[in-house]
Amino acid sequence: MKEIFKTGVVLLIICFVAALSLAFTNEITKDKIAEQRMMANELAKKEVLPAAATFQDVDEDLLLELIESYSPIIEAYIGYNDSNEVVGIVFKSTPTAFGGAIEVVTGIELSGEVTGLRIGSHQETPGLGAKAADADFYAQYAGKSTESYIGVSKTAASGNDIQAITGATITSDAVTVGANASIDAFKMIMETGGVGN
Amino acid sequence: MNLKNLTNGLFKENPIFVQLLGMCPTLAVTTSAENGIGMGLATTAVLVSSNLVISLLRKLIPAKVRIPAYIVIIASFVTIVGMVMEAFLPALYGALGLFIPLIVVNCIILARAESFASKNNIADSVLDGVGMGLGFTLALTVLGAVRELFGNGTIFNLSIFGAGYKPALIMILPPGAFLALGILLALYNVYQIKSAK
Repeated sequence: MKEIFKTGVVLLIICFVAALSLAFTNEITKDKIAEQRMMANELAKKEVLPAAATFQDVDEDLLLELIESYSPIIEAYIGYNDSNEVVGIVFKSTPTAFGGAIEVVTGIELSGEVTGLRIGSHQETPGLGAKAADADFYAQYAGKSTESYIGVSKTAASGNDIQAITGATITSDAVTVGANASIDAFKMIMETGGVGN
Repeated sequence: MNLKNLTNGLFKENPIFVQLLGMCPTLAVTTSAENGIGMGLATTAVLVSSNLVISLLRKLIPAKVRIPAYIVIIASFVTIVGMVMEAFLPALYGALGLFIPLIVVNCIILARAESFASKNNIADSVLDGVGMGLGFTLALTVLGAVRELFGNGTIFNLSIFGAGYKPALIMILPPGAFLALGILLALYNVYQIKSAK
């Protein structure tokens, strides 16, 4: 009986110290982590819409409409240049690829040109679908027009088609679904009067 | 203090090629040499710290609850390393973050705690942690390099076979892990037998 008690107490102390050090570490790192994540987010937006200097969330009604009717879009931001003029819109979408949801950030300028696309978190197969996060793949989307949908070709990129990653057509298609949903949403916003200055 | 503890883990008792420990992360992450080295180094950091603390507490932890005690210590270390890295070294976290939670389930760490750190003094335990960690890193990097070479035609993202090489995709898919590991184990054993003669 005495031994069980002693054993339990030692284990309790170890767990207590462990919990305490975890709480302490969390306390000193949580703000920093939130800041890092926000910065990474900002950076991704800037990369896809280089003309913009600052970003602002679209208003709530519009966002709700986007989420409802333009799935898989989940977030949208308006990009402003230094003189506070609207230069374009950044959409974040989460289409389903081979390993589950994949984060796609698409930037579209007011002129109707896709200025960039980046892949955020994903669980694609390393060496295959994960190549979507390489510049070789995502750079293909920059410069595409919103006049028509972006297509996926297995052999070669041409016109508004991008070339799929070898052996990872599902991933390539999914990224393109995200990009095309962004194009749809962009067109809808422009047709209904754009985003006000 | 015995320097042999340092070199043991590298070749003679290599965690992968001899002890066959930690197969789960080994098979899962070695799709490229870079991933191998990342996982290896992250594991080494946790292995050294957990060996240190467990050796320090070896007289205090009751034998009956040693395994839960080790697991609490190891899991706390892994979580703390993850949080600190994300807060202060975001670039490194971007590269290694994926592997950090995987270290908790790496049985090398528990095995070294149980069979070495709980019976030896602090200096030897740290040396053992460094040796085993580097041995693990070495094995993972070699395995990753072999799979990357045949599955993608590159090593550390440098093209080896040139653009004309048609990669054997199976090598970077899960079955390739078993194939590459089996062949490497066989070669290692042949070498051991030959050098023993």
